Amino acid sequence: MDDMEHTGRVEHGAAEAGGTVSEGRPGTEAGAPGGSVTAEIPAGRTPISAAAPEPRVPSAQSSSTVQTSRGSEITPVSGAGASGVERSARGKGGDNSDTPAASRTGTPESNGTGTGTPTGTGSGAHAGAEGAGEVWGDGLIARRVTESSAAALAAERAAVLETPSRSPVGVSPAPLAYDGPLRSRLDALRELVGLSRARLDGRTLAEAGRVLDEAAARRKLSGRHTVVAIAGATGSGKSQLFNTLAGVPISETGVRRPTTAAPIACSWSDGAAGLIDRLGIPGRLRRRPLHSAEGDGQLRGLVLIDLPDHDSAAVEHRVQVDRILKLVDAVIWVVDPEKYADAMLHERYLRPMAGHAEVMFVVLNQIDRLPGEAADQVLDDLRRLLDEDGIALGEYGEPGATVLALSALTGDGVGDLRESLGDFVAERGAAARRVAADLDAAAAELRPVYANGRTTGLAEEAREEFAARLADAVGATAAGDAAERAWLRNANRACGTPWLRLLRWYQGRGEHGGTGKMVVRAQEDAETTARQRVEQAVRSVSERASAGLPTPWAQAVREAATRGSQGLSEALDELAAEAGLPPGRPPRPGWWPAAVLVQASMTLLQIVGGLWLAGQIAGVMAPNLWVPVLLMICGIVGGPLVEWSCRMAAKGPARRYGLDAERRLREAAASCGRARVLDPLAAELLRYREVREQYGRVVRSGVSL
Amino acid sequence: MLQKSPKIGHSSHVVTLDVRPQLIDTLSALRDRVAAARFPLPLAGAPRARANRDELLAQLDDYLVPRLRDPGAPLLAVIGGSTGAGKSTLVNSLVGRRVSEAGVLRPTTRTPVLVCHPEDHHWFSDLRVLPGLARVWEPRRDGGDDLAVPGGDREEPGGALRVETADSIPPGLALLDAPDIDSLIAGNRVLAAELICAADVWVMVTTAARYADAIPWHLLRAAKEYDATLVTVLDRVPHQVVAEVSRQYGALLTKAGLGDVPRFTVPELPESAWGGGLLPMSAVAALRTWLVHHSQDAPSRRQVVSRTVYGLLDSLKSRLPELAAASATQYSAALRLTAAVEGAYDAEYARVRARLQSGAVLSGDALKRWRAFPLDCTAGELLDALVESLASLLVCSVTAADERVAEAWRHEPAAEATGLAAGDAAPETAEHRIGLAVRRWRRELEEYAEDEVRDLERSTAPDAEAVAAQVATALLGGRRARGAGESLADRLGAHGALRLRDRAGRLLDDLADRAVQSERERRLAPIDALDVHADHQAELIAALSVLQKER
Repeated sequence: MDDMEHTGRVEHGAAEAGGTVSEGRPGTEAGAPGGSVTAEIPAGRTPISAAAPEPRVPSAQSSSTVQTSRGSEITPVSGAGASGVERSARGKGGDNSDTPAASRTGTPESNGTGTGTPTGTGSGAHAGAEGAGEVWGDGLIARRVTESSAAALAAERAAVLETPSRSPVGVSPAPLAYDGPLRSRLDALRELVGLSRARLDGRTLAEAGRVLDEAAARRKLSGRHTVVAIAGATGSGKSQLFNTLAGVPISETGVRRPTTAAPIACSWSDGAAGLIDRLGIPGRLRRRPLHSAEGDGQLRGLVLIDLPDHDSAAVEHRVQVDRILKLVDAVIWVVDPEKYADAMLHERYLRPMAGHAEVMFVVLNQIDRLPGEAADQVLDDLRRLLDEDGIALGEYGEPGATVLALSALTGDGVGDLRESLGDFVAERGAAARRVAADLDAAAAELRPVYANGRTTGLAEEAREEFAARLADAVGATAAGDAAERAWLRNANRACGTPWLRLLRWYQGRGEHGGTGKMVVRAQEDAETTARQRVEQAVRSVSERASAGLPTPWAQAVREAATRGSQGLSEALDELAAEAGLPPGRPPRPGWWPAAVLVQASMTLLQIVGGLWLAGQIAGVMAPNLWVPVLLMICGIVGGPLVEWSCRMAAKGPARRYGLDAERRLREAAASCGRARVLDPLAAELLRYREVREQYGRVVRSGVSL
Repeated sequence: MLQKSPKIGHSSHVVTLDVRPQLIDTLSALRDRVAAARFPLPLAGAPRARANRDELLAQLDDYLVPRLRDPGAPLLAVIGGSTGAGKSTLVNSLVGRRVSEAGVLRPTTRTPVLVCHPEDHHWFSDLRVLPGLARVWEPRRDGGDDLAVPGGDREEPGGALRVETADSIPPGLALLDAPDIDSLIAGNRVLAAELICAADVWVMVTTAARYADAIPWHLLRAAKEYDATLVTVLDRVPHQVVAEVSRQYGALLTKAGLGDVPRFTVPELPESAWGGGLLPMSAVAALRTWLVHHSQDAPSRRQVVSRTVYGLLDSLKSRLPELAAASATQYSAALRLTAAVEGAYDAEYARVRARLQSGAVLSGDALKRWRAFPLDCTAGELLDALVESLASLLVCSVTAADERVAEAWRHEPAAEATGLAAGDAAPETAEHRIGLAVRRWRRELEEYAEDEVRDLERSTAPDAEAVAAQVATALLGGRRARGAGESLADRLGAHGALRLRDRAGRLLDDLADRAVQSERERRLAPIDALDVHADHQAELIAALSVLQKER
């Protein structure tokens, strides 16, 4: 079983890179998750270092506590594991042959023995695991084995043990096991659906949910069988081919169009009842093939389904075809020379299923109706059309759709189909590959809701702009200016000459005392914060945060911002009232008293000089004109001089005081905005990033997000 | 319907062959109405309505109007069917030489081929029918083998039609080999539908493997709906199963109500399709005879033509109302979009008014400035802050309105039409426009203030800028700027202050109105540009009723 998983993986790798290119693939892939992790960390830290772990908490409350924590730990581990496995797979491929076809037909160490003895298969699995881990010992294997794979392994052993005994009845068939990467991708998708259920509507996730359900349902059923449906247009010879493969006329053929109305199943070996039940095919429409010795061995494990047509006027046929095509492991598309270019076949089925090329056969039937080399021409044209549909063709050993030409009527070319079908079934990888292709398709469909072109996160610039807008809203700059000027005014008044002060007082009184009134006016009132500016700030920051995000997440981000902005204005009102001015009295510089003293002494000098002069004039004192005049001049010149120099000296402290007031307000507003708006925004973005990482894990193939 | 309409045709076929200018005029008027109908909004029914309109236009332009103008023009039989049904082989066999390329690779026919008698060539060489297709004329070749068609290489932009002449076709009959109706090439499908619309006789070719396919049946149903003269050919039937397949097909046709349609069976012969050879004349003799008979025998010819013409005219009765209904749906969707925009802007306008009343502009920076006003703040700074705050209020309401519109439009499928999104009206530009308007308002306000101050014959005339700042504060500050009003009255006198306030207030109302209205108009402009009116519906119905009267 494990050997198959490995071969499956080899093919996936090759499918992505196509042959030799896969040499470089594991390295880049291993680099990609690591790169994204390291890229995330600074982006997550720059916003708020303390808040970085915090937003994980809300996500933890949604059932995925373990998974998120585990996810963060396991990422590198699984990444390394995957790359290691890939490397080993590549190594194998390189050792044996470059063509993946070789690994498809048989991985040397496992399959060579696996076909022989039943126990050989088990050892092959061990060998595969050893190859994958390079230094695997038994203990490591034991630790490595998880419950599910252990169960699968046990079941496989049981099946292997039972196979020789050949008990046809009562054997529960070995369930299917998906290989490691596919399993982890499925887990990732499940987790992703869980994480995003709150954000996305059910319709978007429906397809992903269906894929998960089908993958789980298929997994419970037999892994030894491959369900292959024969689909095609009416009259292309589906039933004829079905009968030819089965060796008995099971399905009615005829010229009546449409012929087959209900799907018919034909199982080459036992234990496929569950699989056929899943398709909803009733017991009366189940058949067994004619047991010829050769056919039996070659196609063992095949469950063939003959489908109704998809293009006739009977719409219910198409409904059935659409339903069953979603459930089978592989499809044989039967086309005929007349209808191979029908728009419905290509546009409705082949193009949407282009990703399923590996589980697809395209068979050009009725070549007996074509003369000579026309068959080759038509086949080439069919290949061209398939290529235009985006379907990889399995030519030159590359994985892809197998295109064959045959005639079910004459049996021409049926042997080739039987052979490739036999290989295909024996390999037992179809179911897993189909699920992988479904997963790819679902992931591609979900891409617009998860992936975005650029890195997300709140740029520092946006945060600063938000803070600046909030500061504007509370009027930090104006408050700073006002504080600075008020302080300067007070300083000037304190150090100014008394005469000037007297003059100003007089002027102020002349102007109907307006100044006094205006100072009193500064009463507290309700809405000091500019509501419109706050609204605009929140809007622009949420717009910037949600720019480039897929719609649902952008919506969530906007909602978070709106929720956070409620009450922000009121909070800013309160805050502005509290943090308006530095507490206590405005600070005074140390030189202030000295300046006041000097100014006072200048005034004193003037007065003393004046008195002295008056005394001389009155004759009380000895006439000595020079000294008092000098004193007075000193006072008169010195007073304004002191005032002027004080004003110059006060500018610096005033500026500091104003800036301090501005900064206090600005910071208070910014911290309030951060707590209420930016943090929820960052949390929402982090949640998105988490989901996107998860999506990356689903996509697996290093697609740039 | 089938039983009835030949009678209608029969009773009126004499009239059909007359040229009736009034009917033609009415039809041209109707055609213009149909051409004017627009379905630009991506609603659920819009693609269908667009296809219906195109089809109707094609039928009017390519068939109905030319046919009514020239009743004597040759009968046009269009051979249509799925890919690989053997249409080209059939045409070649009917003509008796290879005029259309046949082959095994699908799709074979890319350029439609029209074959007619040399005398009839002038009917098709001009653009009387199929005006949308350029003519590629091939001089007659005798070899018949050399079919390296140059028409295939030089693709005409609007598609091309190759006109071939052959003596083996009787005058008065033309055959047209159409591309596949279910081609992988979408253009071919459209072309095939258009060609079939131009036919007097629809020859639908199907095969033993295909007769139950869904797509040809759509076409058969369409032929029934339009009551066109229809002929079906069951081609490429293997000998062994001729009887059974033919019976099955007949049963299906009868079940679909097409039991009386002439049915011809062509067996699959070794020389049939894959070699591109011609079928022996005996294989297609019946079909040929039918076609020749209906094109030569005057009464049958009239019946064929009038049946298709009147069938088409009758079908207008149901198809035009359908178009009209689609047009009405478009209109109502456009109305909903408009209503959402108007509702959002009205609500925001009311909010702006309320905020202006309550003095929300005088907050934040402006409030701080005002508190510091005469002492620690100059009038210029105060005005700056006020103007900025006013602009931000207007910008905020306009963006909020846009947000409301986006929210309301999210549930409207019609809103996804290109050009309707707010992308082109970027917020910066709205900010820019509003900023301009507000600065202009400020200048005018300052002029008013200067006027007032100049009129004041007082030596101690107050500073004009301070007056402007105080008026602005009084207007924008609501209750909290009561002081500004008082000091203004002190400075200018009660009368002057009142006058200034009134003028400035009107100016402010004007500004708010204009800012919001012009943004609303900008938002509505793309919807108006879509040109979705209620008139289209009425005009279509009116044209139809005129036509009914005219018949």
